Amino acid sequence: MDLSAGEALARRPAAERGARDAARGRPDAGPALLRLEGLSKRFGTLQALDDVSLEIAPGEIHCLLGENGAGKSTLCNLVFGIHAPTQGRMWLGGEDYAPTGPAHALSHRVAMVHQHFSLVGDFTVVDNLLLGQTRGVLDRKRCAAQVEALSQRYGLELAPHARIDDLSVGERQRVEIVKCLMREPRLLVLDEPTAVLLPEEIEALLDVCERVAGEGCGVVLVTHKLAEIRRVARRATVLRGGRVVARSEQPAAELDALVRAMIQRDLAAPGGGRADVPRAKVTTGETGRRPEPALMVDGLGVRDADGVQRIDNVTLIVEPGEIVAVAGVEGNGQSELAAVLSGMRAPTNGRFFVDGRELTHATPRQFSAAGMGVVPEDRHAVGCVLGMTVAENLFLDRLQQFRRWGLFDRGALDRSARELMARFDVRAAGPQSVFSSLSGGNQQKAVLARELTLSPLRVLLAAHPTRGLDVGAVEAVYSHIRAACERGVGVLLISSELDELLRVADRVLVMYRGRVMGECAADEGERHRIGAWMAGHAA
Amino acid sequence: MTAAALEASRFRPGPAVWVSIAAVAASLAIGALLVGLTGVSIPEAVAAFADGAWGSPYAIGASVNRALAFALVGVGFVFAQRANLTNVGGEGQIAVGGMAAAAVALHAGVAGWPLGLAWIVPLLAATAAGGLWGAFPGWLKARAGTNEVISTLLLSFIAVWMLYGSVQSEALLRQPMTSSSTLPESLPIPDAAQLPLLAPDSGLPLHVGLPIGLALAVVVGVVMSRTVFGLRLRAVGLNPEAAKRAGIPITASIVAVMAAAGALGGLAGGLMLLGEQYVLKAGFSSGYGFDGLVAGLLARGSIVGVLAAALLFGFLRSGGINMEMVAGVPSALVVVIQGLIIVTLAGAALFIDRRSARA
Repeated sequence: MDLSAGEALARRPAAERGARDAARGRPDAGPALLRLEGLSKRFGTLQALDDVSLEIAPGEIHCLLGENGAGKSTLCNLVFGIHAPTQGRMWLGGEDYAPTGPAHALSHRVAMVHQHFSLVGDFTVVDNLLLGQTRGVLDRKRCAAQVEALSQRYGLELAPHARIDDLSVGERQRVEIVKCLMREPRLLVLDEPTAVLLPEEIEALLDVCERVAGEGCGVVLVTHKLAEIRRVARRATVLRGGRVVARSEQPAAELDALVRAMIQRDLAAPGGGRADVPRAKVTTGETGRRPEPALMVDGLGVRDADGVQRIDNVTLIVEPGEIVAVAGVEGNGQSELAAVLSGMRAPTNGRFFVDGRELTHATPRQFSAAGMGVVPEDRHAVGCVLGMTVAENLFLDRLQQFRRWGLFDRGALDRSARELMARFDVRAAGPQSVFSSLSGGNQQKAVLARELTLSPLRVLLAAHPTRGLDVGAVEAVYSHIRAACERGVGVLLISSELDELLRVADRVLVMYRGRVMGECAADEGERHRIGAWMAGHAA
Repeated sequence: MTAAALEASRFRPGPAVWVSIAAVAASLAIGALLVGLTGVSIPEAVAAFADGAWGSPYAIGASVNRALAFALVGVGFVFAQRANLTNVGGEGQIAVGGMAAAAVALHAGVAGWPLGLAWIVPLLAATAAGGLWGAFPGWLKARAGTNEVISTLLLSFIAVWMLYGSVQSEALLRQPMTSSSTLPESLPIPDAAQLPLLAPDSGLPLHVGLPIGLALAVVVGVVMSRTVFGLRLRAVGLNPEAAKRAGIPITASIVAVMAAAGALGGLAGGLMLLGEQYVLKAGFSSGYGFDGLVAGLLARGSIVGVLAAALLFGFLRSGGINMEMVAGVPSALVVVIQGLIIVTLAGAALFIDRRSARA
């Protein structure tokens, strides 16, 4: 489905068009920076990319859209030389381009920021940046100065001598971006860079993209977020099932059409938030006694090894059937809160209870037994075992259920896994597929499926459950969370996507420097107050 | 071998088998050439090798018994490897197993016990001692993150020297000193505590250890592939954080599998003492633990592979010893040939992997 540029153009006011075109420059002059023709890639039986042709002009920000598993990452990997195409050709700056590997691509000044970072956790920012240097003496001072310069130029705030392990996910990504910018790329490929970023960080990143593009560099931006496309995309290409299903010269004006092409269905009407969903009425029993809160956190504090107070006196209550969101700029104690509430880390002080049972110093097994499901922030690190099968991952915490005469009953596991995969729309070749072969969205759905089928389930702790997911998968995740909520499960949702929080949650708590800055109803009208709290202003 | 254990293995018959055989044959040929270079007549050396490895029922039995010790250590190695743990402490586990078996067989008055308890109890003692020797580094690993390669290796040296010390002192395991020429070794194991032979009249020195070892190999294969414990071990090995989050007891899993690996090594030591050597003396373990470790490494996770590699090494060692004694081939050369085989086998495995990855 190729959208007609003329038709789209007509839908857009001329003045706005003129302003936007001026802001983006007119990149059409001269040859394409990158040209792909008939590119195909096959992994075993899976046709990841099928006859994809594409042109990127110098100075253009080209958005690549598609659901999880549509082939966007594969396309990026071909351009960056990680995989070789099965078929098709590439040209860079008018010359034949067949990268044999990332080093080759980098030597052609093609840089890429991956979805998953490649940083050495125990090294400082500067040492990580110097890792790519292949000869000579390491000049940390010069590198640090370079980092500072780049940081200031692009607004990527970064402490050059901080250890990677001490940085938040968002900060780590900044390191990756700086790593690319140090190469002075002429083509910058960003594979879902905004998935892990906060709203202000996204703004900053988009500014970076525009500035980089303004210097004549081509930028390929893989994203799911429509607002970003509206803001920066010069052109957009939609992939589905490895094929190009739509191209747009005016993406900002054709968002609806793009989304339709991407998921082949219209988005649910906006405003389908909690307010419209009938509230779960929690039975109070015949005695009329108030039920125990699903989760009660009382005066929780965490001091890390360096003596820094990561969480300070956090108190909160999640009632059964309620969704409480913890908002805040990343790195303000949310990760630590999630770690404590999932039993991965012991608090320094305070206590917490699930359904009236104290779990402050309990083991993860006791957490599960008490009915606490956890969708962890970093699903690869703690949510799943990538090298095991989908079925094994779906039942990782209750493998003992599948026993017959003391032996493991793989058949029973597969049957249960199939059922769960159907229920949660986890798309994989089968229950025996290796978990790492699933796309990010399907991995997340699988983790969610496991945690939501905990029995009994009283509380779900979901940390950034939609990070990196496409629009369709986000809807699926929230509809499952809502369904659990209607069954009387209390949900603590940690996220930095304010739009999502406001749409899904009942109440919002804002964390700032480890403390709860404020609490309010999840209401569109509170947006301003929440924003102020996130920035550390008492409202 | 049951279907389950076969399934557990990553041993793929077909090209893998042929390439491995070719690799072994090629290194044996190079070995023969090296023997020729030392001035020894090659046919004579080959004859001595064949004679020592499989020339008589006794030779075959001795080779198989060696292979059994290698196999037990190797199976333990593969088991621990399932949880991404590398147990290189086979040598020490054999040594503590030998000491425990000797202590119980000689000083616990087991000689008169009925129903085979006279040899069963010392074997159990050997197994328990090896288990403890393996569990300790496992516990260190789980609790303090101590690298198990280092701790098992160092514990091996400790055990080997403890054995050396124990046969130097009458208060420990040394036989009573009757003259200044009394050797620093233990008393011989009493007949009742020696392992019953499978075929006493055939001249084959095969003992009950063989069926025990094979049964344990099957058990470990089944546990690895067909039990919840085996699956959890894999999760612990692949992603300990996620395993912890899923409520899998990490410490217990690591300690248990390291204890099991150590117990298999300890049992190997017990079998060597009660079934073969009958006397505990310095040099008792004589590198069996390391050969078993190599068998486990070469098998790359496969129980069948361990058994095959152990068998190969058993025959090689026996043949090599005889080649040295009869044909005068330097013992260093035997080790060189063994090393050649290991390198070519490992290389062949890599070659096959690359090819199947490309296909």
